[in-house]
Amino acid sequence: MKRFLSLALCASLAILSACNKSPESGSSNASGGKKLTIALMPKSKGNAYFISCKAGADEAAKELNVDLLFDGPTDPDPAKQNEIIENWTTLGVDVIAAACENKEGISTALKKARSKGIKVVTYDSDANPDARDFFVNQATPEGIAETLMDEAARLTDSEGEFAIITASLTAANMNEWRKHIEARLAEKYPKMKLVDTKPCDDLKDKAQAEATNLMSAYPNLKLIMAICSPAVPGAAEAVKQAGKTGAVKVIGLGLPSENRKYVHEGVTQSVVLWKTKDLGYLTIHAAADLANGQLKPGAKEYNAGRLGTLKIEGDSIVLGKPFIFNKDNIDQFDF
Amino acid sequence: MQKYSRELSVAIVLALLLLVMAVAAPAFYDPQPLLSRLAREAPTLIVACGVALVMVAREIDISIGSIFALCGVCAGLLAGSGWPLIAVFGAVVVLGAVLGAMNGALVAGLRLPSIVVTLATMVILREGLRWKQQGAFINLPDAWQWFGLSQRGGQWALIAGALIILAVLAWASRHLAGGRFLYAVGSNAEAARLAGLRPRWITLAVFVFMGALAGLAALLNVVQSPQVDPKSGTGLELKAIAAAVVGGVAVSGGRGNLWGVFVGVLLLACINPALTYLHVEAYWEKAIQGAIILLAVIFDGLRNRRATN
Amino acid sequence: MAASGNTNQRRHAIGEFLFRHETILLLVLVAEWFYFNSVGRRFGTLDNTFEIMRHSAEIGLLALVMTPIILTGGIDLSVGSLLGLCAILFGKLWRDVGMSLPVAAVCTLLIGALAGGLNAVLIARLRLPALIVTLGTYSLFRGLAEAITRGVDTFTNFPDSFLALGQQHFAGLPTQVWFFLVVTIAIWLLVHRTTFGRSLRAIGFSPEGARYAGLPVERRIAQAYILAGVVSALAAIIYTARLGQAKADAGTGYELFAITAVVLGGTSIFGGIGTVHGTLFGVAAIAVLDNGLVHARQPREMAGMLTGVLLLAALGAGALPKLLAKLRAPRHSSAPPS
Repeated sequence: MKRFLSLALCASLAILSACNKSPESGSSNASGGKKLTIALMPKSKGNAYFISCKAGADEAAKELNVDLLFDGPTDPDPAKQNEIIENWTTLGVDVIAAACENKEGISTALKKARSKGIKVVTYDSDANPDARDFFVNQATPEGIAETLMDEAARLTDSEGEFAIITASLTAANMNEWRKHIEARLAEKYPKMKLVDTKPCDDLKDKAQAEATNLMSAYPNLKLIMAICSPAVPGAAEAVKQAGKTGAVKVIGLGLPSENRKYVHEGVTQSVVLWKTKDLGYLTIHAAADLANGQLKPGAKEYNAGRLGTLKIEGDSIVLGKPFIFNKDNIDQFDF
Repeated sequence: MQKYSRELSVAIVLALLLLVMAVAAPAFYDPQPLLSRLAREAPTLIVACGVALVMVAREIDISIGSIFALCGVCAGLLAGSGWPLIAVFGAVVVLGAVLGAMNGALVAGLRLPSIVVTLATMVILREGLRWKQQGAFINLPDAWQWFGLSQRGGQWALIAGALIILAVLAWASRHLAGGRFLYAVGSNAEAARLAGLRPRWITLAVFVFMGALAGLAALLNVVQSPQVDPKSGTGLELKAIAAAVVGGVAVSGGRGNLWGVFVGVLLLACINPALTYLHVEAYWEKAIQGAIILLAVIFDGLRNRRATN
Repeated sequence: MAASGNTNQRRHAIGEFLFRHETILLLVLVAEWFYFNSVGRRFGTLDNTFEIMRHSAEIGLLALVMTPIILTGGIDLSVGSLLGLCAILFGKLWRDVGMSLPVAAVCTLLIGALAGGLNAVLIARLRLPALIVTLGTYSLFRGLAEAITRGVDTFTNFPDSFLALGQQHFAGLPTQVWFFLVVTIAIWLLVHRTTFGRSLRAIGFSPEGARYAGLPVERRIAQAYILAGVVSALAAIIYTARLGQAKADAGTGYELFAITAVVLGGTSIFGGIGTVHGTLFGVAAIAVLDNGLVHARQPREMAGMLTGVLLLAALGAGALPKLLAKLRAPRHSSAPPS
């Protein structure tokens, strides 16, 4: 019996190894060839935003003929990110490109990778400056927060109550945005009031429930600001069901594809995001050039393939400003 | 009296909460948000009823959140490819039942502990779905929302549907042979076997039934919005089990009443909105939720202690 | 330890089952190792082995301490949340209260004991089901952590001497592995070599029986939960040192990993049966799988799916022989089917 079982186990592992042969055979790993291996980490797997980044990353990888490894924790977890980075370090990839859930948590692992000669790029959200070579900056936290807050003020004539729906109370980058949103609010819009901030656990259904309650608990609510992508359509659906289309405005950070319907119906006024595909493309492009020596610390400009020449500020490569999608332009974008 | 002490103490906590809301924040009872809230909880109620029956039979199922998500995604995909509502309804319930049967076969057939089996199927299904779907939303055809009814009509239909299922199951579990078999098996499987029942078939059946209910609940969730979130149902198992146990279903089997589960679902469903209406900061939400769950059972524990002393 | 022939025989039978289960698990572990070693160039290196140990220390600790609880037929869903609460309280005691790190660490362990004590009182004294009590404290502890830090406050900038605990090596091994080894040995001795351990099993088999046999059932159960609290606090300190930060989301979902490792290790979820070394193998099997899949360049989702499959396979393997024997039995005997 025992022997049968171990045989069965070995057989299943052999099958696994057979399945594995195809991606492995093309890699430079065993042969020591010249092809670069770039490891790209999202904050979490199964997140539409990062899948859209990956589409651009795939494009760049194909163009530059590099191997792309795409992996990350299944749920946003700094400890797991840290662990995967360290595993990649042991594995011996050439460049690591990471979107950091949490600055401190990941920086120790990234520093260790750098000390082993691995180049490190961060994108989407930064690590500590000494833990990476470059940061591919699609928008600073201040930039995102100010764009959102200014947009909110524009839609409400700079007065009235609004509420925020976030992914979780501990999500590091959203907390950063909230900090800057509140700073901007205090500084420029004294007549506006942030009445409540609710977490939605990154679930659309929960965001919908929270928005429903918020609107009735705060009858003077003018606007809901959803700063994680599933919350934008969730909040919009709640507003629509409450029959408050237009009376309670919805803005947020999210993908055009998930919000197109609500933007056309006038429930959601505007969605803020950058061109996620370009972000992925630029990240891989910069990572490859960093490893090839074509991108050096101290450079002032960077020629990023189809994106043309981009400015480098300090050690961050600037992709451009966040983009506001609204009724007029949303159909031009397919992600 | 003693028999229903848990149900009673939970009902008292719920009544207190509702009273506080009536005094402190009457807006809590505004019809539109109330109706929305109840419609949102209809799927939870159905799943909680199912898991309560599983627990009465002395098993547990923690894969229901994953089955729920998988069925929801399938409903979305089938609807998108033009299947009519009734066909999707059938397909999703059958899919849920098949997944439940898989759990049931492992539990009843191989006699493996159900918590372990369903822990395994929970991760396998959830990660498999994540791998396949990568978090992308699925758009539903317009005519799908609220089964093509008006919003209010659809919400009433959902609530009525869930309540009918609750009532039928509550009655059936007491008065039909099949329901009483569950209690018999859950109280003492060996005695049930000696009495001529077939405990393993009953176990299998209850898992199949649970799966079908999870599929049905997924469908009732899907029709409430024009997009399907493949992550929906995350944590549903904990919510449903907490509602069932708070509502007086014994983890050790053989005891429990679906009306108690109903009270449990209502209590858990009220806490979060209540905090919003009372303008409590969200940072306290989880702590208060935990405290209320503990409070509801401590009440009962203290009474039992006094009774035995 | 010797007893009458009858109980000896029973013990022998149980021992054989355990032996079989653990052999299977060991085979799985070896197979995993060889497979990943053949696929990943650097998988088999000593460095990587240390990495695996380093990363599994916290979940390993939680799994170890979950073992005695599950042996009594209980469960503790609150350990992951408690890890988070202890981590931020540790940070708070150090940074805001101004305690020195060792004092803060001792206080954190005490807080862990206190939190475990809350579970213990409710479960052992009030006789409430462990599942619902720890489900409540799972929410309560995490909620307190969020409320205290408002989700935002993150404790960082710990001195290097403290971070060494989580990031450096000591006497050849990653520092935290020494802690892990000490706890492992202590819990192994406790469960397998003391009357305490035997009474846990007795309670797991039959709490009523144990009570009639004169065992202090309530106290033993309470001790198991308090122990879990203390070790969760220790895991929190190690976690903080490894990541260099303490935040309210530390340890989210760890309870499920720990429970998975324990049941994979052959401990019966109904109590009474199980070993600490089984749990250790369980932790190792999951950790090696997790690490190896990165070296095999497989996506993360695969790790979750394969862990589930492994769980079913390991348990099914134990159940299969019984089932086959049963299927075969009626064919050979002339006894009428019952």
